[in-house]
Amino acid sequence: MSQLVSQYQRPVFNAAYRILGNMDDAADATQTVFLKVFEHIADYDQKHKFFSWVYRIAINESLNQVKKRRTQEPLDDGQASPRQGPAEALDTKRICKRVQAALMLLNNDYRTVVVLKHISGCSYQQIGEILQLPEKTVKSRLYSARQLLKKSLQAEEAEN
Amino acid sequence: MNEQNHTARTPVDQRILQLLNSSIDGEINVVDQQELDHLLATSQSTRDLNDELREVTRALDELPEIIPPKYLQDTIERQVRLPVENKGAENKPGDFGSWINANWLRTGFAVAAGVLLTVGVYEMGSGPIPAGDSASMSGTIGSNSVNSQKGELLDRINLESELFSGQVELRTHNDLFTLNVELESDGASELVIKFAGRGLEFESADSPQDAADTVSVIDGSIHLANNGEQNYVLNLRRVPGTDYPESLGLEFFANSQLIQQSELRISHSKSK
Repeated sequence: MSQLVSQYQRPVFNAAYRILGNMDDAADATQTVFLKVFEHIADYDQKHKFFSWVYRIAINESLNQVKKRRTQEPLDDGQASPRQGPAEALDTKRICKRVQAALMLLNNDYRTVVVLKHISGCSYQQIGEILQLPEKTVKSRLYSARQLLKKSLQAEEAEN
Repeated sequence: MNEQNHTARTPVDQRILQLLNSSIDGEINVVDQQELDHLLATSQSTRDLNDELREVTRALDELPEIIPPKYLQDTIERQVRLPVENKGAENKPGDFGSWINANWLRTGFAVAAGVLLTVGVYEMGSGPIPAGDSASMSGTIGSNSVNSQKGELLDRINLESELFSGQVELRTHNDLFTLNVELESDGASELVIKFAGRGLEFESADSPQDAADTVSVIDGSIHLANNGEQNYVLNLRRVPGTDYPESLGLEFFANSQLIQQSELRISHSKSK
């Protein structure tokens, strides 16, 4: 049991965190994901990869929490590397906060593909399998999401 | 070469976006890469777009991995191990109904782990479960009677590390093999005792403490989740008709990291 939880806890938590934007909600979602994994294991179709199934549950649970919550709480992002100096760490934290804030402005469909691609490191094909979407749709959403992020970050930079 | 300018939302832009994104993701074929190379060489706007997109993707890729709260793994494992207790006090641990429900989840876990053949996972402190109640289980776990230091000493393994230390002693009497386990850890640790395919089956586990620690028997392995100081007595029985067992595999984990792998020898002092 420990091995399974150890193996999937971090990636599930990180995906949830990037979709939800705060630690407490991500922890709640992660707990629920594992309970659902064990509870619905009979539904797991071995034709698909196990990690895809777990990720699908993680994404769905995170999106459920987004719907329940509606309002976004302040972000507590930006873990600086211990190797960084104070100024550099502050800069990293600021950039992370900006990127996460821009991510939260995306709609759920776009945010989900970005998280799976850049946080979970999934390929187009894997994202398609997790979200049960054609690869073409995955690409289209990802490319549009990046364009929106680009605009959002540029606009934010211009404001400051 | 002539420089080209592309305005937003033309079909050409969509093609350029597709090429740039595919290239950034490393999922571009040779022909498309050649087309992109040509565009980058001839179009300033394509180069600008390329730089901007790469900056965005780099920023996303550089978002730090967030370390989950320390309590999370323990909380998850306790919830999964104690689904009935979490739902309320209607069923007491050890009741047949509770056990069926819990065992279903545990079986699910084992399949999930891709390993499978569940024996069971039981909470230390629950009353012994009647063998007749459990088709897939081959032993009991309790917290009362402890029979240690009996039988011929076969082997002993000591673990000395900063986070996790202890001793595992293996004794035998007739076809019963007894492991006397003394563990001490600073934080979450786990000892895994592997007996699958070694001609042994799980018989029972006892602990003198009323501990909240758990013993799990999954896929031919006994898992002792430990935190602090804990003693266990585990009994394994030789499966009739099989070759005399040769060894038991031990794996010691601290903070989810394997810190020592050992074998307890059985057969060196026994004939088949």
